[in-house]
Amino acid sequence: MQLYALKLVTVVGETVVMEDIAKEGLKLGASGYTLSEVVGQGSRSARNVIVTGASRTTKCEFVVPTDVAEKILTYVSHTYFEHYAVIAWVADVHVMRGAAYVAG
Amino acid sequence: MTTMPCLVLAGHIPALPAVVSAEQLSRILQSLERNLLTPIPLCFLLGIICTRIHGGIKIPKELYLSIAIFLLMSIGFIGGHELAHEYQMHGVATIWKPALVTLFLGCVTPITSFLVLRYLGGLSVADSAGIAAHYGSTSAVTYAVANSFVEQTQHPANSFLPTLVTILECPGIAIALVLGAALSARERAARAAAVGQPVRESKLGEALYEVVTGQSIMLMAGLLVIGFVSTLFMDPKGFQPFFDFFQSKGMLFRGCLCIFLLEMGLVAGERLSDLVRVGPFLVAFGILMPLLHGFFGVYLGHLAGLNLGGCTVLGAIVASASYIAAPPAVRLTLPEANPTLSITAALAITFPFNIAFGIPIYFEMAKWIGAV
Repeated sequence: MQLYALKLVTVVGETVVMEDIAKEGLKLGASGYTLSEVVGQGSRSARNVIVTGASRTTKCEFVVPTDVAEKILTYVSHTYFEHYAVIAWVADVHVMRGAAYVAG
Repeated sequence: MTTMPCLVLAGHIPALPAVVSAEQLSRILQSLERNLLTPIPLCFLLGIICTRIHGGIKIPKELYLSIAIFLLMSIGFIGGHELAHEYQMHGVATIWKPALVTLFLGCVTPITSFLVLRYLGGLSVADSAGIAAHYGSTSAVTYAVANSFVEQTQHPANSFLPTLVTILECPGIAIALVLGAALSARERAARAAAVGQPVRESKLGEALYEVVTGQSIMLMAGLLVIGFVSTLFMDPKGFQPFFDFFQSKGMLFRGCLCIFLLEMGLVAGERLSDLVRVGPFLVAFGILMPLLHGFFGVYLGHLAGLNLGGCTVLGAIVASASYIAAPPAVRLTLPEANPTLSITAALAITFPFNIAFGIPIYFEMAKWIGAV
């Protein structure tokens, strides 16, 4: 089986900004993204409240080449880390059909 | 409609020192007792207790969201239906003054809140504007509880009050956010220059669009229009099943309100531990500001010709703080504002205060002012 080495970028944070991050990820070269609603607790307090949209938490995932992963992480850290409850990390993944993850 | 000139009306209001006579105090206490020992606030209390003792109540998210949709649709639909009746009987004669007064209150309350928070409380521009946006807007659930209260006391509010709720929802958020964005723009530019980064573009337009097209406005205003149009143009027999579903003699609505308030109690209970973090000033603000705004609402409602129930409900919705529409808009526009402050004040202080004590107090204020 042919597998391709790519990066999985995961951004977890306030729902209110996550759609922006997903769209910006596409502009930076990602070919797609996955959004899912999650609950959890972090250094900026618990984020499990469903009553107010501002307190919801969303996870956004991209599978991208290394250069795009770096661009997304740079964008997220510069734009959101100061004021928003947002965390991001990158992990190595091996995927089938590698060409599907390259935008263009 | 009774329209009294201001000066004549002012003569009906007792002098301030007589505000809390022993008799009035006992009436307020009786009203509080009548309100507190009813299912809606008691369900809220049960939610709080359950969270604090780590009890096992868990409302499924989908049920909570479905109930929110039903409540908003019901308020809008019945409001539109009643508005159509009012329109058929009196045209816009009875509605325009309360509508204008509500718009005025929607514009004034964010400014009074901002000034108090910024200059009495010494909070930052962003925090002051963020909290002011919550207090300038309204809470549809507080409206529903206030409306149930006045119905229980046999003083139903004027039929067009749901229209006033929709009028009150947006301007307060818009004004506070514009104020906050304008005043904090310079600070933000200086900070960005200091760290050598470009200034982050303002999301004000996007945030306001989100507010206007958000679920509460779309459902409430949308169903208001649908209720209004279908009452005017539909055959009454065909209309009846829709009316029966949304009105259901108040049974379905009040039952749903109990479940909703239980969930609100669970959420408010979680937030109670944040009270220590927000400090005594914000706790006092969350109680005293609604009383002041509530008084404005009751008094101006009376001047605009609302009845006793109408004045009470207008007082309650002006006094209430938004915790659904405002928070995302504030997060987008004023990211440096601390959301713990505004959400805790709106949800853990003002909302419980209004549900338990505020509504009966606004009712007594309305009686005291002379509303009938």
